[in-house]
Amino acid sequence: MKALMFIIRRTFKNLFKGVLKKPSLLIGYIFIILFIALMLVASFAMPAGLIRSGSPEFFTGIMSLVFMFMYYTYIKLGIEKGSTYFRMADVNFTFTAPIMPNKILLYAFIKQIGGTILFLFIATCQIPNLKNNFAMQSYGVWMILLSAVMFALSYPLISMIFYSWASKSSERKKLLKRLFDVLALAVVIVFITSIAKTRSFVDSLSSVFTHPVIRYFPVIGWTSSIASAAMNGFTLEFWIGLSGMGLLIIGTSIALYRMNLDYYEDVLEGAEYFEAAIKAKREGNNLRFNLKVKNKVKQNLSGTGAVSIFFRYLLELRKTAFFLFLDRSSVMVIIAAIIFKFIMPDESNVLTLATILFFAAYMLLLTQMQGGIGKELEKHYIFLIPASYAQKLFFATLGEHVKNLFDGFILFVLSGILVKAKVETVISCIIAYVLFGAVYTYGDILARRIFGRIHSKNVMIFVKAIANLLMVAPGIIGGVFVLTFTESEFLMLCFIGAWSFVLAVTLFVFSTGIFKNLETVN
Amino acid sequence: MLKVKNLSKKYEKVLAVNNVSFEVNSGEIGVLIGPNGAGKSTTIKSIAGLLRFDGEITIDGKPNKSIEAKRVFGYIPETAALYESLTVWEHLEFIARAYGLKDWKDTAEVLLKRFDMDDKKDKIGKELSKGMQQKVSICCALLINPRMVMFDEPMIGLDPKAIKELKEIFVELKSAGCAVLISTHILDSIAEIWDKALIMNKGEIVYVNTRDAMLASGESLEHIFFSLTDKEEEKPA
Repeated sequence: MKALMFIIRRTFKNLFKGVLKKPSLLIGYIFIILFIALMLVASFAMPAGLIRSGSPEFFTGIMSLVFMFMYYTYIKLGIEKGSTYFRMADVNFTFTAPIMPNKILLYAFIKQIGGTILFLFIATCQIPNLKNNFAMQSYGVWMILLSAVMFALSYPLISMIFYSWASKSSERKKLLKRLFDVLALAVVIVFITSIAKTRSFVDSLSSVFTHPVIRYFPVIGWTSSIASAAMNGFTLEFWIGLSGMGLLIIGTSIALYRMNLDYYEDVLEGAEYFEAAIKAKREGNNLRFNLKVKNKVKQNLSGTGAVSIFFRYLLELRKTAFFLFLDRSSVMVIIAAIIFKFIMPDESNVLTLATILFFAAYMLLLTQMQGGIGKELEKHYIFLIPASYAQKLFFATLGEHVKNLFDGFILFVLSGILVKAKVETVISCIIAYVLFGAVYTYGDILARRIFGRIHSKNVMIFVKAIANLLMVAPGIIGGVFVLTFTESEFLMLCFIGAWSFVLAVTLFVFSTGIFKNLETVN
Repeated sequence: MLKVKNLSKKYEKVLAVNNVSFEVNSGEIGVLIGPNGAGKSTTIKSIAGLLRFDGEITIDGKPNKSIEAKRVFGYIPETAALYESLTVWEHLEFIARAYGLKDWKDTAEVLLKRFDMDDKKDKIGKELSKGMQQKVSICCALLINPRMVMFDEPMIGLDPKAIKELKEIFVELKSAGCAVLISTHILDSIAEIWDKALIMNKGEIVYVNTRDAMLASGESLEHIFFSLTDKEEEKPA
């Protein structure tokens, strides 16, 4: 065990030393630490229920829905690929070393506790929003963080148990996946039936997901019961949930190394998948990672010179899209924005589509700041194509604008019908959405031009996100002023669009030198 | 030293390795050769204890997955994967701790020098090129002074000097009584060094012979390899 702890200790020490060596990186980390500290302080210090006092049932409903979605996604992926705490370096060095497999599992478990920091960070960022809308208990923040830890510790263990059973035959895999799909479908049907009756998303969320069957349902119900203690206090549900999760984590760990000492094969595929996912993230390709690629689509390569990059992008997009350019990221942005609209209270009724636009722009920031251009720069072709820098940059990014136009069209036409918005508001929202996307895209490229390929992808993403927010903020603030004076949502959207357009063009001009200054990473 | 008896490995419905048996003795260099997809890596991974399998594999008389067996064998995977935040020297220190080695530092220095890595001791894993990562992987496997060592496509990514060093190391390991198993599909890379050839095709060992016996018969390994692995392609579709 000492040897394994040596890896953890030294990894941490070297990371710290690496950060100290690079001042720009140090500033980035200090910035992140301050941000997290601020979020934590705000989470604990801010009064609860500032905007409204949502019901405990609604809170439990949100928590159940979130954990249901997360467990479903992660465990289904685990059944397919095997879930793992391990990297390939662990496979190559520790699995072949004379160390007991149970000690290696324990080491992985300690590493995973470090991995929960990411979940804690994501959870922390949501707390101020939750606190604004719900009158939480004084210890509520701790309960939400505890549930995030429970989730992060339990899903790899559950996935490993499922995988070790399912990996024996493809029939077992199919059976398990179908079982999960049927359960998910059942929940969706029950939920839609409830909405048809109540005609209210919030009421249905509050009633369906607080049903005793879901509240006490193993794992999902247990985890959300822990989170729901933030509102409901230490009820019987909480204690059942906490004991259930504790027993589950301890029990599955014991089961894994007592009953199946030979777990190496079960985690091998997962480790390979994990490495591939990390590589995809580095290339800025994580949203397209592991998507099913169609062999044939009705989209041809066309154009010459830099234009060919644009058509190649469209072809790649069509091959992974569900329909035309509608892919996983489109669905994420569209569904999240529409759900957000229904959940948010809108007493004023002044802002109809703008609320959806702002949330969709925020979601787009989360998906686009991963940096799609990174994938292009990982390969040498774009550097060699005989065309001007501006042409190459324009056509390499045009595909993203087309996709945003397509997504924006679906999102705002759909929500425009739902909220009965005017046609000009719908059109201005679509244009503003595309321009937000353009700002993020060229902001990303400019950041690459300024920073190059820095030490940590996560730090880079964080810096870009903050920079993008700061850049678009004046447009939104100005738009709010326009709204105050004119009371016209359309004019507000025009102002925001105009600001984003100027910003995007400026960023484009400053970004064109990227092919002159940036070197290929391969 | 290495005994593989009736090894079979099935991935769902695909039989990747079918009832394979062979031995590599102490002081012998065995080469496992075959076209892509022949089952070489699956065999190597099974021996390394990374896969479940049917059959029996022993190293120095002990089951390959036992702690005792692991103490004496080294493994160099096809794709080197290092800990991104550990330095080259820390990788070696970890191996020394994991295998309970004493007085390992001089050996580590010698190994690093042989592979021109002595000036890169303080470089962390992610700062190294693929070839350098492969060299670290080799140094780690050799640091334990193994009695059996397996190389899965070891030459890929190495520079000419490192290839030359590695070939010399194969011979030195053999002289020291170590059993060496090298999996490759590049015949030229092991032409001068092998003692026992094991040709795999479609999950089965289709040929086993020693260098002496083969030379006596007047055949070449390349000729035998193509005659055994090209058969299917010659048939009309």
